[in-house]
Amino acid sequence: MKRAMEKDVSNTIQPRLTQVFRFVRCNYTDGVAELVYAFDDDDELIERIRFPNAPAVPVARVAAFDAALKLLHLIAGISYYKAGVPPQIEVADGPLDDATAELLDALYLHGLAEFAYRNGLDLRGRIAFPRHDAETTTSSRDAAAPAVGMLNLRKRTLVPIGGGKDSLVAVEAIKAIGGEATAVWVGNSALIAACAERTGLPMLNIQRELAPGLFELNRLGAWNGHIPVTAVNSAILAVAAVLYGYDSIAFANERSASAATLEYDGQQVNHQWSKSYAFEQLLGNWLHTHVASDLDYCSLLRPYSELSITRAFAKLTSYFDVFSSCNRNFRLLGPKPADRWCGQCPKCHFVFLALAPFLPKPRLLSIFGRNLLDDESQAAGFDALLEYQDHKPFECVGEGAEARAAMYALSQRPEWQEDALVARFRSEILPQLDASLLALEPWLEPSPEQRVPVRLQPALKTIG
Amino acid sequence: MKFGGTSVATLPRWQNILELVASRRAEGARVLVVVSALSGITDALKQLCRHGDHGQRVEAAKAIVQRHYELLEHMQLALPDTLNDRLGDLSRLADDGATALGELAWQAQVQAHGELMSSALGAAFLSHSGLPTHWLDARECLAAVALPNQNERTRLLSAMVEAKPDPALNARLAALGEVFITQGFIARESKGRTVLLGRGGSDTSAAYFGALLKAQRVEIWTDVAGMFTANPRQVPGARLLQRLDYEEAQEIASTGAKVLHPRCLSPLREPRVPLLIKDTNRPELDGTVIGPEIRAHAPSVKAISARKGITLVSMESVGMWQQVGFLADVFAHFKQHGLSVDLIGSAETNVTVSLDPTENLLDSDAIAALATDLAKVCRVKVIAPCAAITLVGRGMRSLLHTLSGVLAEFGQLRVHMISQSSNNLNLTFVVDEEVVDALLPHLHDLLIAAGALRTDDSALFGPSWQTLYGTGEAPGAVAAWWRDAQRQQLLELAAETTPRYVYHLPTVRQQARALKSLAAVDRLHYAVKANTHPAILHVLAAEGFAFECVSPGELKAVGAIVPEATPLLFTPNFAPREDYVYALGTRATITLDALHPLKHWGELFRGREIVLRMDLGRGLGHHEKVRTGGSGSKFGLPLDQLAAFLQLADAHGATVRGLHAHLGSGVLDASHWGEVYVQLASLAERIGSVAFLNIGGGLGVPSHPGEAPLDMVELDRVLREVKAAYPQYQLWMEPGRYLVADAGVLLARATQQKDKGAFSYLGIDTGMNSLIRPALYDAWHEIVNLSRLDEPATALYQVVGPICESGDVLGTDRRLPEAQEGDVILIAQAGAYGKVMSSHYNLRDEADEVVIDA
Repeated sequence: MKRAMEKDVSNTIQPRLTQVFRFVRCNYTDGVAELVYAFDDDDELIERIRFPNAPAVPVARVAAFDAALKLLHLIAGISYYKAGVPPQIEVADGPLDDATAELLDALYLHGLAEFAYRNGLDLRGRIAFPRHDAETTTSSRDAAAPAVGMLNLRKRTLVPIGGGKDSLVAVEAIKAIGGEATAVWVGNSALIAACAERTGLPMLNIQRELAPGLFELNRLGAWNGHIPVTAVNSAILAVAAVLYGYDSIAFANERSASAATLEYDGQQVNHQWSKSYAFEQLLGNWLHTHVASDLDYCSLLRPYSELSITRAFAKLTSYFDVFSSCNRNFRLLGPKPADRWCGQCPKCHFVFLALAPFLPKPRLLSIFGRNLLDDESQAAGFDALLEYQDHKPFECVGEGAEARAAMYALSQRPEWQEDALVARFRSEILPQLDASLLALEPWLEPSPEQRVPVRLQPALKTIG
Repeated sequence: MKFGGTSVATLPRWQNILELVASRRAEGARVLVVVSALSGITDALKQLCRHGDHGQRVEAAKAIVQRHYELLEHMQLALPDTLNDRLGDLSRLADDGATALGELAWQAQVQAHGELMSSALGAAFLSHSGLPTHWLDARECLAAVALPNQNERTRLLSAMVEAKPDPALNARLAALGEVFITQGFIARESKGRTVLLGRGGSDTSAAYFGALLKAQRVEIWTDVAGMFTANPRQVPGARLLQRLDYEEAQEIASTGAKVLHPRCLSPLREPRVPLLIKDTNRPELDGTVIGPEIRAHAPSVKAISARKGITLVSMESVGMWQQVGFLADVFAHFKQHGLSVDLIGSAETNVTVSLDPTENLLDSDAIAALATDLAKVCRVKVIAPCAAITLVGRGMRSLLHTLSGVLAEFGQLRVHMISQSSNNLNLTFVVDEEVVDALLPHLHDLLIAAGALRTDDSALFGPSWQTLYGTGEAPGAVAAWWRDAQRQQLLELAAETTPRYVYHLPTVRQQARALKSLAAVDRLHYAVKANTHPAILHVLAAEGFAFECVSPGELKAVGAIVPEATPLLFTPNFAPREDYVYALGTRATITLDALHPLKHWGELFRGREIVLRMDLGRGLGHHEKVRTGGSGSKFGLPLDQLAAFLQLADAHGATVRGLHAHLGSGVLDASHWGEVYVQLASLAERIGSVAFLNIGGGLGVPSHPGEAPLDMVELDRVLREVKAAYPQYQLWMEPGRYLVADAGVLLARATQQKDKGAFSYLGIDTGMNSLIRPALYDAWHEIVNLSRLDEPATALYQVVGPICESGDVLGTDRRLPEAQEGDVILIAQAGAYGKVMSSHYNLRDEADEVVIDA
């Protein structure tokens, strides 16, 4: 039997033993971008991204488009790189300038931090994108920081829709100032399509087809785990902005996305690093210097806490029966609350808790179809949110102190305080906390950190 | 005869009314037609009332007038003066605004015009069409009464009328003519102002007129044939209720049925005027007759309904114990915050009340403010979202003993409150809202199966909604193979010997092909435990099926029949080590569902590809059997042991190539398999080595006649959808019963009859020794007297076998023709888990097996 197994693997690739990850080439024709990668000398892995009703790339924007496409190639490679995590990275059309290499080194290291933690890997010192060596750099400074100018992009915004509350708050903020915007999403999700349709905005649905070879690699024992998908989507939207003509990409990443989920062996691990301010700055600046000085990449919700955002969302009643932040039921959709909210995952727990202070209780319960805070079997999940007896879960959820503030607010409300988990909080957890740190109000104050362009500043103000 | 808004909105619908009225005239009846406003007009009038702006009001009135002109034009009628006056009045009212009359009185006056105009138009149309019709002003007949709990708003906009038989009015109308038309929704109060009757007002008007005139009957013409035993949207198998008494009907209407407003029954009760609900589009259907209490019938549950969005407020305090006025104070708070209490349940130290889902409850701070006030005097808990499930039927308490199966179902749920009122018409359970959608059809089936909802009584219960209105092929349209084509052959086979099983191979092929139509499925296995007859294995191997076995015995039986290349799956449960040793020596793919085999016999699996059967536990969702399944079921690896399993597999060099879960049996809801696939896929994504997902079987086969079959088109759609989301996995299934159940029948012979009290027992020559499913699972099998298939079913039998067990009953309360000794009795749907589960109990001979292939 043992022999049989060895035979099985001898003539096929062993992903974890690969030596080189190669960015082979990328090209674009008629609305389809092809991104090609390979491990060692193995078969090519070809990912395709389809831009619907794509216009011809205007001549004036060709250079910008190529730059954005190249970045997309480099960023989307992370899905494949992680299958083997080989020691060497090769870029077929030559080394990168410093700014580009720094962006990618940071993205691959921090964006894969959770992946590394889960798989017991240490990626520090392992990820090094090829750069121009010192000589080349001094001889051609242009390559290090190519100067790009204005493209005079149309004054309208791509707003990525995720199906959850955040992007809907961003959409309504732009609508409130009469801004022109398009609801955009990548991939097939009936849920997102339903939310996008409810916004009443024009819609753009971009398709991403992973290379089939990736599934084969997984079958052959590839490393597997979380990748920073927001970075990939951001790069796709940068290409789209140049292609269709948009001057801004407005994500809906909030303040707490910048906080680390945990620290592990001296390294910060943030599940949502590609939603952090650090990444927003890196990519935003890179686009300004490499693609177009008038293409802005920002998050409209950056100054706000989750609680500010849930408070804003609590007013958007027209979305209550379509949205969902749950990522267990993410790919399915149905009219019943249980179709959209699994009620078991950290996202369900957090959104429930964070909306609770701002909605009448019966209305909140009608959204979820059940009362998660009156279900003792959910205690461990809420404990994790409160960072009580457990670390923060690996999900895009708010900070522990924020969850504690929301829970504290509920514990002071007669219509909530007898519910099983609220009562448990009052009797068991609250006595161990400093009540002076539990107020809700400070969370509703915006922080100064943001890079929203001038044109969209008024939208930012409508949220807080 | 009352007609609603859509029935009066177009010319064809008016022609329909003309025909119906004429047919009643032909029967010699005098007719009073009560009409609503044209559909959409009442809303438009309400909208008009909201406009503060004079110009907007005038515009709105113009648009409304225009609607009526257009209908007139379709009718090719000149504008009658009566209508012209009304249109003019409306324009004036819009022009003047509310100032002169006062806001509420003006609103009532404006909104009354919807019915005033539609009835004027109707009078013109009917008269012009040769049916002389008198227009009657409802306000001349219906006098609103002032009630002490009314304010100005309710007095004007949801008024009440005391309708006592009025012979004078009868005489006056008799002198005028034969056909009248009047308005629903409106009346007049003591000061002479026009008032409205509120929601459901037109039905209520019809009832008031019925009582005033002591009519022969009131007919409500609507878009459905009547009331059903459940909401047909939730329970397509719900049956038409052909006869109800007033109290039952009112209870059903107020606990969920939308077809009739509950208010419209009480005026008819005292004068004993019956009310008939009829479908305008299908006048040939019987409809529902609601009248005085029906002469002696076996007590039966009549309907099951659910109201969602209910909020419970539970108040706990020792302070209320023997405390005068405590409840009065508590309820004052509900009144103060504008919350209306529905159900009440109380104990010495707890009072729990239910609130219906009003806008006030959902979108204001009412519940927070209420809780704050109540918290000063007791502990408050707000429980939501809940649903009230109500069983309705006269004499509910006398039915309790039949409800044990139903109550057991509630025993598995969080029941927050049970309420039973002294009128003995209902039994209400308040449960978590999330369980209701799946629960309701199940309870409906249980009520029928338990004999609590006596659908066999054809005087009370009509056809199912599915039969009357369902789309797709009408169930039962295709007669079972044994009914016509093979009947003679079956009689001959029974003449040779009984008991015997007969299998019809074309039916097996037909089911196999239905499964093969599921394009998303990559590999189908037949779960051979359902029936291991060699001929069936042959047929399914020829249809390209793989086979799923659970024991070495099954592996051997299958191995002896199917071709060498046919894939096999070995999915045992608590099998001993030697079973695995045996199976590993075959080509079968092995499924494990516990840690023990890897932990203790791990070396057996080194280098092998294995399948892991998961217990998806309660995460699976709504299917109550699976939910309790969780740790209470012996199958599958619990989710929290997955990591340990993978480590063990890794340590022993075994590769987890597939994930498997099996939901349970008899599932008729296609979405379940989609959920299983998605849950398995999300687990598989973390494992990496997985190539296929086996989502089990459990495809239901309906047993009761008229029950809707599993929708294969929908299942196909669901599976395609989830497969598109996770295209990287192969999809496997392993149905058993679906393939063979309908293909098999058990033939037996009547041996004798015995009458005992109200019961009549029909004995046959085999019982639970041949077919244990009725005793084991309360399974329902159709039973027919094959010798007398065409004779009227006049007897009501308990069909029993010869085994010395009181559970040896194959069917209860079966309507069959009077049987004679020697008649051939056929028990249908016995192809699955029949012969394979039979025994020698009582040392009776086993039934033999015969195959038909034609």
